[in-house]
Amino acid sequence: MGMSVLEAIAARRPFRLGEVEAEPDGAEGWVVRGPDGGEPRQVEAEGSAIRAAVRFDALGRYRPLSGARGMPGGWFVRCRSREELEQVLETVYPLALVHIRQHSEGTLRVVGLDAVLRRQTGRYEVAAELSEEGRRLAVASVCGACVRVPVWAGRLPKEPESIPCPEPCSVFVSFCREAAIWEREGAVPGRDDPSVPFADFEAEGNALRNAYLRARAAAPAGEQR
Amino acid sequence: MKRGLLLVGHGSHLNPNSSAPVYQHAEEIRRRGVFDDVRTAFWKEEPALGRAFDGWDADDITVVPVFIATGYFTEQVVPRELGLSGPLSRVGGRTVRYTGAIGAHPRLADVIELRAREADAGPDAALAILGHGTPRNPNSERNIYLQAERVAARGAFREVTTVFLDQEPNMRDVLRYTRAETVVIVPLFVADGWHVDETIPEELDLEGPETVRNGRRIRYAAAVGTHPSLADVILQAAEEALAWG
Ligand code: SF4
Repeated sequence: MGMSVLEAIAARRPFRLGEVEAEPDGAEGWVVRGPDGGEPRQVEAEGSAIRAAVRFDALGRYRPLSGARGMPGGWFVRCRSREELEQVLETVYPLALVHIRQHSEGTLRVVGLDAVLRRQTGRYEVAAELSEEGRRLAVASVCGACVRVPVWAGRLPKEPESIPCPEPCSVFVSFCREAAIWEREGAVPGRDDPSVPFADFEAEGNALRNAYLRARAAAPAGEQR
Repeated sequence: MKRGLLLVGHGSHLNPNSSAPVYQHAEEIRRRGVFDDVRTAFWKEEPALGRAFDGWDADDITVVPVFIATGYFTEQVVPRELGLSGPLSRVGGRTVRYTGAIGAHPRLADVIELRAREADAGPDAALAILGHGTPRNPNSERNIYLQAERVAARGAFREVTTVFLDQEPNMRDVLRYTRAETVVIVPLFVADGWHVDETIPEELDLEGPETVRNGRRIRYAAAVGTHPSLADVILQAAEEALAWG
């Protein structure tokens, strides 16, 4: 494993974090770049400008999951200081630097799926009914589409740019809710519809829904409920 | 001692505007430099409520839920996810002050009045404060009535009434519940999102900021929660919490 993100920041060396890259710029500054794509355009180092650049995909669909792969490219931000760099990264990937630091220090508080599903109430209570196999496939489908590494599911961040994820996120929990209902109702995969939002799991054209249901249909029968 | 302020919002997996006012007010309060650290956390966005205290070095954190209703979210979900035991809690060695929904704060009436005036409400106008409401939760209407009473008590408008999107008295009957020639509807919502921008104008068949119907004028104001002066109300709620000791 190469130099960690935190070491690279301290040593003023270029580094990657998830899908972004950062490199020193001048004596104290940094440049943060999104993935390649489109005409390069500068974005102000302000929360609202950065959110406008990263919270919509190339088709203009809202990305509620910061770690979702396929961040739109072409944007870059100039930061005047390390503090500004850290703020920009916090906006792009909330808590990523905190969780990387806590993970390296061994102080990251990890909360597993059981505990998270058990504390759900209201419309999310049903999520706890999802079978073991359903949970495993949900990790493969949803977390597989995310740059964070679900240490809560026993995965280990292996690359220097990996971001440890300590607890199932709200997108994952709402996916589990739908998956529990699909199990109950015997849902079948539909055809992906690019106009369906990323996290609209109730819609038949949702890409994550269909990837999950296809994986489920392909799983050995004995593993299904 | 380092003091922090945490604004919590609902957020959304489907609507990017839902969290915008929370970020907007957090940025404004950060700019004023009253707290050492100002952060945000959401039920449906990131950072998640359950991780809201990760990485803080403040030892005294005030939590203000940017919600209109006092109810399921502010009384169950937020306290559970943040690990709070009441208005004043100890969480991971820190003092955490929890103000309760901003929708109950007395100074919110100032913001409602400002929104009404921006939509040109004068002393002869009827003001209709529009809340979400839901027949499933009788508590969700409480703060709407409370704020309407406060605005009415100031006597700045001829009439002040309360209507709802999803319960009676329904917004569709707003002309029946008022008499003044001009009726100004002020949506008591946090965000200019799906409801304020789409479902409400559609259902009321509004033609823009002003619609003439049956010889009367209906004016439609922007959401209360996006008004810049909501930051003042949040700060006041936070200052009051700091006085708890
Ligand atoms: S739970 Fe999975 S999808 Fe959600 S942030 Fe963590 S790794 Fe990503």
